[in-house]
Amino acid sequence: MPREIYLVKVGMTMTEGMVSEWFIADGAEVKKGEMLYALETEKVNLDVDAEADGTVKHLVEAGVTLEPGDVVGYIFAQGESIPDVLPGATSQPEVVVSAEPVAVESAAPMAVEAVVSEGFVKASPAAKRLAKELDVNYLTLQGTGPGGRIVEADVQSAASGQTASQQPAVAAIQSQSSANIKASPLAKRIAEQRAIDLSQVRGTGPGGRIVQSDVENLGASIAQASGPVAGDMVPVKGMRKTIAQRMHQSLQDSAQLTMDMAAVMEDAVKLREQLIREWDGAARPTFTDLVIKAAAKALQKHPLMNSQFGGTGIQLLNEIHVGIAVALPEGLVVPVVRHADQLSLKEIAIESARLATSARNGTLGLDDYAGGTFTISALGMFGVDSFTPIINQPQSGILGVNRILDGVAWEGETPVRQKQMNLSLTWDHRVLDGAPAAEFLQTVVEYLSEPYRLLV
Amino acid sequence: MKEYDIAVIGGGPGGYTAAIRASQLGLKATVIEKAELGGTCLNWGCIPTKSLLHAADVLRAVQTADELGIKTGKVNFDLSKMVQASRQAAGRLNQGVGHLMKKYKIDVLQGEAEIKERGLVSVNGVELFADNIIVATGARARTLEGLVPDGNVVWHANDAMTPKKMPDRLLIIGAGAIGVEFASFYNTLGAKVTLVEVLEEILPNEDAEIAAAARASFERLGIKVLTGAQISQVSVGKKLKCQINAESFEFDNVISSVGVMGNIEGIGLENLGVETDRGFVSVNSQQQTNVAGVYAIGDVAGAPCLAHKASHEGVIAVETIAGLAPHALQVQRIPACTYSHPQVASIGLNEAACADRDVRIGRFPLLANGKAVAIGETDGMIKTIFDRNTGELLGAHMVGAGVSEMIQGYAVAMQMETTEVELMNTVFPHPTISESMQESVLDAWNRTLNY
Repeated sequence: MPREIYLVKVGMTMTEGMVSEWFIADGAEVKKGEMLYALETEKVNLDVDAEADGTVKHLVEAGVTLEPGDVVGYIFAQGESIPDVLPGATSQPEVVVSAEPVAVESAAPMAVEAVVSEGFVKASPAAKRLAKELDVNYLTLQGTGPGGRIVEADVQSAASGQTASQQPAVAAIQSQSSANIKASPLAKRIAEQRAIDLSQVRGTGPGGRIVQSDVENLGASIAQASGPVAGDMVPVKGMRKTIAQRMHQSLQDSAQLTMDMAAVMEDAVKLREQLIREWDGAARPTFTDLVIKAAAKALQKHPLMNSQFGGTGIQLLNEIHVGIAVALPEGLVVPVVRHADQLSLKEIAIESARLATSARNGTLGLDDYAGGTFTISALGMFGVDSFTPIINQPQSGILGVNRILDGVAWEGETPVRQKQMNLSLTWDHRVLDGAPAAEFLQTVVEYLSEPYRLLV
Repeated sequence: MKEYDIAVIGGGPGGYTAAIRASQLGLKATVIEKAELGGTCLNWGCIPTKSLLHAADVLRAVQTADELGIKTGKVNFDLSKMVQASRQAAGRLNQGVGHLMKKYKIDVLQGEAEIKERGLVSVNGVELFADNIIVATGARARTLEGLVPDGNVVWHANDAMTPKKMPDRLLIIGAGAIGVEFASFYNTLGAKVTLVEVLEEILPNEDAEIAAAARASFERLGIKVLTGAQISQVSVGKKLKCQINAESFEFDNVISSVGVMGNIEGIGLENLGVETDRGFVSVNSQQQTNVAGVYAIGDVAGAPCLAHKASHEGVIAVETIAGLAPHALQVQRIPACTYSHPQVASIGLNEAACADRDVRIGRFPLLANGKAVAIGETDGMIKTIFDRNTGELLGAHMVGAGVSEMIQGYAVAMQMETTEVELMNTVFPHPTISESMQESVLDAWNRTLNY
């Protein structure tokens, strides 16, 4: 009794299908497990294996649409007599092939990579055997044999790491582009080993040919660029770690930008000298103190600069507490002159001196740090003329104080020497735009240029 | 005063080649030569010795012709005619260089040059101006104390190339290429040759395995080879008496070939403060000395002292002067040949120099080569050394018949930067001895087919 070959049913929804190709010719021998025919349905193409050894007789030709379960041919066992006229098509009610893993060359492209059960992938027996030997999952390979059949070479190349079949497009492009580049075989091989893109290498050989030294020098320069000779490792901990995190966080979380504006410092210089004499040791004002006072007064006039940006809105702050960045050997601290707008210049001078001394002595209290609404950072003593301070979050602005320099002013056509100082304002563009920020800075500059107004 | 773009001091293979290249590039050049155009190489080195060694090869072939069924009777040779042939060869080539100079409109000035100051060269008292000066004065043999050539017992190389009579017993001190070639020549002609080397092996610049193979061949052919040898109590009278490794010897003649020294004296290098190092002029990869406008090429610019290296350096110097960007010569891609029987040829790194590298080494004996068997030249081997990771051909070393004509194959491969793949895929003609070159490569990957 010959064994029927059915048109297998793939999934419950399959209503019709056809043998699109017989892999085993009519009358030819087949071994169990060998690919027998290609099934084609509306949704799926897959290869069907023989279930027994024997001689294959086709009942239907390729291309005839049938219902699943229809007999398409027979396998006659060895010694079994093959009749001239094959038995008529009997239908087997339900031969449902496991519906789950069927999608080979599916119409839906997404499914191509889906898990596929072993029997339905086109692969030569030798390829399967080799895959087993070399422990290669051939189910994921793309075959280069006839009709995309996986052949031994595909498995071999997959095993040897030449994953042409696993990443066909990329590999093809790479080999094509490197084939068009003039390079010595040795240079090509070294480039391949070091993952150097030859299209990025300038050849110094005849006609721009890339030679060994070009690739090796590139390798050396890359190595140099990516890993300079290391010195000692400075540990990032304590204050350094806090500063690193907060500064980085500040730049990531807000929209900071900086503008410079020069203040005329002629009168401020005179005033400071006069006040030093006047206060006679009771207080000794610094230029930073003048800036604190000027900024505090300007913040009163420009409340947006004295605010915090929040998720729901910009929180204006009613109090003005100005932080002063103080450099210490181990890092930076920002003690706060509280209610700077309400303090006289003399009080500010006394308070900032106290804070600076405490900071250096390490005796600042928690209250001394708390509640700043704006910050001033001075680098003028280092000869700095401009910089971009980073906002002390969650504030909206920070004012950089630069050196006082001998600038030039014009009296009619005559240049005259004039004490000037740049102020570098960083502000948060989320809170206010350039024009209002410039207006704030202008106010600060006006107070410094006419410093007697700071005394009232 | 005559003015030149380039004045080349020395008309050897470096100097005259530099002048020709200069002329090709439209530069006006002069070559100043105190002796003969072609220099030592052409007149007293490479060329005449090749003539003599060829004569020796022919003599050996005739002596062994009986093996191939050729009846020759008693074989004799005429030493003076051999020398005459070698002088004719040198003479013809010397004239040829003269013609080349004319063809390229290069002024050849006969005389001794001295650089007076930058750009100013005096030739036998006549001054000329040259924007650039190329020093190509070559090198000369070092002499050993107590063995000053006298043309009688103690031979200068020139004497050894023009012998009046055959020595019965010949001592050759120094087993570099020159010493080995003289040993091979005189041994073939029937002298009792003793070849002495202070180092542990002959041909010290060659791969030790190849040198040992060559030594075995020389000893089979009758040369007495003494290595690690100390010579003492040398006395020169009618004969040369000495002790070698505390054993007493007597020789009719001695050739000392213990290396060369640069000809750096008397040409005014000190007037300009040109830097020298251990007897050779110091140069960079463009052959520039420390003094602007002064270049040095060839032997005087340091080892390896080879004519083909000098020629390339001459081209590099001139192209640098012309504002081109010549490629620096890579020392490891300069082949070296010894024209003894059997010959030795090599290029690149030897095995000892690769001690700290991960390499693959291939070997193929000529015994397994069909052509070598057919012509009875099975003495020899081909050795190749590759970088294991990149497949770079690091070195090739050959001993055997005709290998000096084969080494260029590896030189081309190196210059083209082939890997083992290209060498394996190249089709070599059969039957040739050069097939062994491919077999050696295959052997480095354990794939040799005929051994």
